[in-house]
Amino acid sequence: MTPKNNIVIGIIVALVVIASYNVDANPIEFVEGLPNLAIIVEEMLLVEPKYIPTALWAMFETIQMAFIGTVVGTAIALPLSMFAARNLNSKYVYAPVRALLAAIRTFPSILWAILFVIMVGLGTFAGVLAIVMYTVGFVAKLQYEAIEAIDSDPMDAVSSIGVSKWQLIRYVVIPESASHLLSQILYMFDYNVRQTSILGLVGAGGIGFYIINYIKFFEYGKAAVFMLVVLAAVLFIDWVSVKIRDKYIVKSQHGMAVSAK
Amino acid sequence: MKQIQMTQNSSFSLISTNKIIQMSDVWTSYDSKTFALEGINLSIDRGTNYAIVGQSGSGKSTLLKLMNGMMIPSKGTIKIDYVKPNMNNKKFKKMMHTIGYIPQSLGLVKNITVLENILIGALPRLNTIQSLLKRFPEHEIQEAKRIISLVGLSGKEERKAYMLSGGEKRRVAIARALMQKPTILLADEIVSELDHVTAHEIMNLIADAQKRMNLTAIMVHHDMQLALEFANRVAVIKDGHKILEIGVEGDNIVDFQTGDLNTEEIMEMYDNDPKK
Ligand SMILES: Nc1ncnc2c1ncn2[C@@H]1O[C@H](COP(=O)(O)OP(=O)(O)OP(=O)(O)O)[C@@H](O)[C@H]1O
Ligand SMILES: [Mg+2]
Repeated sequence: MTPKNNIVIGIIVALVVIASYNVDANPIEFVEGLPNLAIIVEEMLLVEPKYIPTALWAMFETIQMAFIGTVVGTAIALPLSMFAARNLNSKYVYAPVRALLAAIRTFPSILWAILFVIMVGLGTFAGVLAIVMYTVGFVAKLQYEAIEAIDSDPMDAVSSIGVSKWQLIRYVVIPESASHLLSQILYMFDYNVRQTSILGLVGAGGIGFYIINYIKFFEYGKAAVFMLVVLAAVLFIDWVSVKIRDKYIVKSQHGMAVSAK
Repeated sequence: MKQIQMTQNSSFSLISTNKIIQMSDVWTSYDSKTFALEGINLSIDRGTNYAIVGQSGSGKSTLLKLMNGMMIPSKGTIKIDYVKPNMNNKKFKKMMHTIGYIPQSLGLVKNITVLENILIGALPRLNTIQSLLKRFPEHEIQEAKRIISLVGLSGKEERKAYMLSGGEKRRVAIARALMQKPTILLADEIVSELDHVTAHEIMNLIADAQKRMNLTAIMVHHDMQLALEFANRVAVIKDGHKILEIGVEGDNIVDFQTGDLNTEEIMEMYDNDPKK
């Protein structure tokens, strides 16, 4: 390790200490607070099984919200990504579309949820709209990046035939970026289920509504039921995503499992 | 080995006046500092089987890209069937539909099938709705199947392009170009990496199509022997210049510039080719 590195590390440590002081992040308070954690854990262990059906139903609602948000968001994102890709459009088209998408992405989903609660009132619909917006911003970005990364050889070869832009999109852009799309949708759904689980905090529906309310009233045992259901659901969705990815995406990318026809 | 016969320039150039490609003093640059081609003059008669040979980096691929308008010269003029290449010109855009171009990298769409790749050649003949719904008219599908059997890919129609061997990929690229009903076929080293037998099979295929459809085939080669065997005109490119152009008629080879070259000298130019 060079002296220069030591100085850099020293400066970073000093900055963390100063920032902690500024924001009142005192490790001693953390240690002093540990017994409280023990109390919460103890109360959480008093899981109340009779709430399981309610929790499952709330989780089902959450998953449906995430599902609608992901599908609708992706459906809006795809055409936008075609206009945002630099290799398909002139600057006058892609620059404004990219600016719009960047603006959409600056808001985390919870802020979109607050905005939509104000617009359409409390409830699941506001949550769905928030997830749609968030999905549009991210899937469009991931997708236009995938389009820009398409091999230029087939793009050039097919353009040289003098086909229209729509034909180029249909026969080169979509097939060559589709495998990325499926994995992006899976990732987004997975992520949206977790996001939707906390939208209840601002009254935008989903299982988070129950969790925040029970915690507010110190009913940790009930909250624990709902949190465990979220954990189980997220793990399950993760597992299913991996299965789907292995079956469809890994195969198409590496040419594994060639059928013997 | 072919014999050299000295002939006057005129005996060849007077025969036909229908020029499909005309280049005069063409310079091109990729980086606006160095030139990939420096003052190329060349003209190609309609229906010729034309070959371009030269060492790696000499500018062969660049020359081919000028012939379908994918590259525009920095200086000089080029006319393709008497039209100046320009993407915004309706007449030229229409002409692109019948210029079959097989790039060195082939340019296949990896994740679609052999049949779909080949049908891309028919897209200019479809309207937007038909093509977006992949509704190809029956006669186009029949034509695609005919070409598939011509290039020896029967039974592989539904294979995804990424699952093909190198030789099969080349056949798909040729079939896509033939599907365009081309008047000009531009092919960039499509047989260079193949074994002798397959290379000849593919060259014969193109030679047949060339004679039957009276198409102008312009092919880049690494192998001078192959060029002499199949082409009736061969241009030799070196460092961005055309250093030699020879005509081949039967067993006679005619040099158009100096008229005093022999086979040994031609082949000698190839002995310092690192790829050979
Ligand atoms: N896309 C590019 N950008 C910059 N320079 C390029 C590009 N393509 C080719 N060149 C340069 O232009 C010159 C001619 O290249 P070209 O591809 O035409 O050679 P070639 O004769 O086809 O070679 P090969 O036999 O290796 O394919 C080379 O010096 C090369 O480095
Ligand atoms: Mg080349």
